Amino acid sequence: MADLSHYAFVAALIALVGALALALVSAIDLRGLRSLSFAGGPTTTAAIPGDSRETAGRYATILVANAVVFLTASLALRAVESGHGPFSNMYEFSLAFSWGALVIYLYFEYRYRLRTLAIFVLPVALALLGYATTVPDEIQPLVPALQNDLLLTVHVLVAVIAYGAFTVAFAAGVLYLFQRNNSVRWLPRNTVLDEIGYKAVVFGFPMLALVLILGAIWAEIAWGSYWTWDPKETAALFTWLIYGGYLHARVMRGWKGDRSALFLIAGFAATLFTYFGNIFFGGLHSYA
Amino acid sequence: MTTFSHRSVPTMTAARSVRPRDVASPVWHALASLRLALTLIAALAALVFVGTLLDQAPPSVVSDSKAYGQWLDDASGKYGDWTGTFDRLQLFNVFHSFYFRALLALLATSIVVCTMNRWRGIWATVFHTRVRATETFLTHARYNVRMDAAMPATEAAERLRKSLTRAHYRVTSEGPSDSVALFADRNRLSRFGTFFTHLSLVLILVGAMVGGIWGFEDPRFTVAEGSTRDLGLGTTLAVRLDEFADDYQADGSPRDYRGEVTLLEHGQPMKSGVIRVNSPMRYKGVAFHLSFFGQAAVMKVQDSSGREIFNGGVPLALQTRDGQRPVGSFDLPEQGLSVYVVGPRADESDGPIRAGEIRMELYRDSVRVARPVNLSQGMPMAIEGLTFTFEQESRFAGLKVVKDPGMNVIWAACAFMVAGLVMLFYLPRRRLWALCTQRPDGTSEVLVGMPAQRDFSLAGEFDRLQTRLAGALDAEPAHYESDGDLHG
Repeated sequence: MADLSHYAFVAALIALVGALALALVSAIDLRGLRSLSFAGGPTTTAAIPGDSRETAGRYATILVANAVVFLTASLALRAVESGHGPFSNMYEFSLAFSWGALVIYLYFEYRYRLRTLAIFVLPVALALLGYATTVPDEIQPLVPALQNDLLLTVHVLVAVIAYGAFTVAFAAGVLYLFQRNNSVRWLPRNTVLDEIGYKAVVFGFPMLALVLILGAIWAEIAWGSYWTWDPKETAALFTWLIYGGYLHARVMRGWKGDRSALFLIAGFAATLFTYFGNIFFGGLHSYA
Repeated sequence: MTTFSHRSVPTMTAARSVRPRDVASPVWHALASLRLALTLIAALAALVFVGTLLDQAPPSVVSDSKAYGQWLDDASGKYGDWTGTFDRLQLFNVFHSFYFRALLALLATSIVVCTMNRWRGIWATVFHTRVRATETFLTHARYNVRMDAAMPATEAAERLRKSLTRAHYRVTSEGPSDSVALFADRNRLSRFGTFFTHLSLVLILVGAMVGGIWGFEDPRFTVAEGSTRDLGLGTTLAVRLDEFADDYQADGSPRDYRGEVTLLEHGQPMKSGVIRVNSPMRYKGVAFHLSFFGQAAVMKVQDSSGREIFNGGVPLALQTRDGQRPVGSFDLPEQGLSVYVVGPRADESDGPIRAGEIRMELYRDSVRVARPVNLSQGMPMAIEGLTFTFEQESRFAGLKVVKDPGMNVIWAACAFMVAGLVMLFYLPRRRLWALCTQRPDGTSEVLVGMPAQRDFSLAGEFDRLQTRLAGALDAEPAHYESDGDLHG
């Protein structure tokens, strides 16, 4: 089982590399290259025509979907092998985070017919898988503090979905900054990017609230206190406050555009800080 | 407006003209301003960030100035010359600092004021919406469609109503038969979600205060195997540890800790069971959480007549400062003695205290009486006219005992928070207006509009709706306008 899980992980990694390459080809309008081909003569018209780019994009999506399937399989096989939710160390959590980012990305791609987000979401997902290869991946039994299957699974699952939404918001924010003057032809209009960033936060913000609440419930059961200012929960609260600030600034004061985009990038930095935090600040979440 | 002359003459009239509301209104406005709310969120985020980065002294350490001094000494190894500054700024105890609490209080006030300010407005937009929209409004709505219906206006309106009702919209209509106006909405209570979420934050603070005032907590209540200890803290409860067990994996990592515990009230056993890290025992609002464990020494003390004056397990739950050895103590009140028991260090085979031994020191009024002695297991020793026996090694369980009557408030607040966020963000309000105008030939023109500020996600919803409505009217959409295209 552990071997199978590892193969599925490698398959996901390969699918994702392919998806990223195709997404780049699909998204970026290589106009320089095209005019070069035109100069080569009439026989090589349409070097990278719209159709091919569309095809590349379609295959990119298919590969992302494959990566999700492989990651799901990898996590599920580990769960079967270990007998608990696959969220107990940084290896499993990295796979899960990557999974969350890809799932939310696919949803937004489907909902808004926008593939361009991939060129920033996929590198994040890929980096997380890359990071996973550097941490110990042995399946280990749960220490007593984590022995709560239901809460372990739900708490972390909701967390990776929230993180995934923030990854998509981050991608929209970065693309916005490239597109602030609507000068890049192959990118969506900046109002669309602005809107998508907002939609992703609207989706992720309640999820993060739920993570904090489930964490409080679990902390009360396991540690006897619903809130202990443990560094990880404090970092998650910090992230939640940032996105709370973003929502208020945007909805109530009409902050859009640059400031909004910078907010999304800061929020994602806070998300990563929360995610990697337990490595350097210890506390009750230091399991890995 | 009060004139200057009025103000300079302190008459009853002048005094009455300054109404409380006028005085309060600048303050009120400041508290209701979103600028303040954003500033507060930013300030709280900054403090929370600092609290994440810097080690925070545990509450038990902060309350004990000696322990806190020691903690600071340890911290200075990490923070160097900054330690003093951080300490003066209360940064090692940010979350209990005066300014953190002041910020929370200010935020709570601001939330309450904002809520009171917005309540009427939101109530009005939810319950008192105008049914009749003007043609200009409809044609300028972000999503709109114009359709021809080969039927009278009342018939067209009726069909729209049925179709929208089936799409889970709530429909109201009004107007003369040649110009029927419709208003339809879905999830209209959505915006009340904002009150749930904001007030839940206030409720969380209330819950924390209730817990702080009426609750109690002993984070390090220790009881040795086979012993019974009174809980104290104003209760009549006692805890008996019947057995403690710990299991390990092959690689030495812990598999399971469990304690078999009996709770006694007025000396009567009331409840027994196994507690684990993830399954505390609860009794009358008091929760007993298994938190840590360690070595204990079973001690027996007899007086000169052979009468037993102490017999029980002594948890060695503290550590000596020099050798990091486990240490515990018990009192002999009749003799006015405190007995300190020091156990061997696990990794030390040839130290001053060997395995199977304990060292004992006696104190009277914090002054040591007699020299420290080592006791071997089962070998009685006479000191100060008493006979001390180290009967055997055993274990103790460390419990965190908590009573927090604020917790139910906290969970209620969490439920409100989730409900509010779901209403606000996952069930957003949709509003749609329509106007059916009858032409002289008996047919009607139908205008449907859905205003939305920059909400691209509504494009799909409107698409489906207009197809559905056109079907209901047997009409082809004559005109569909949307700037919701995704690519520029």
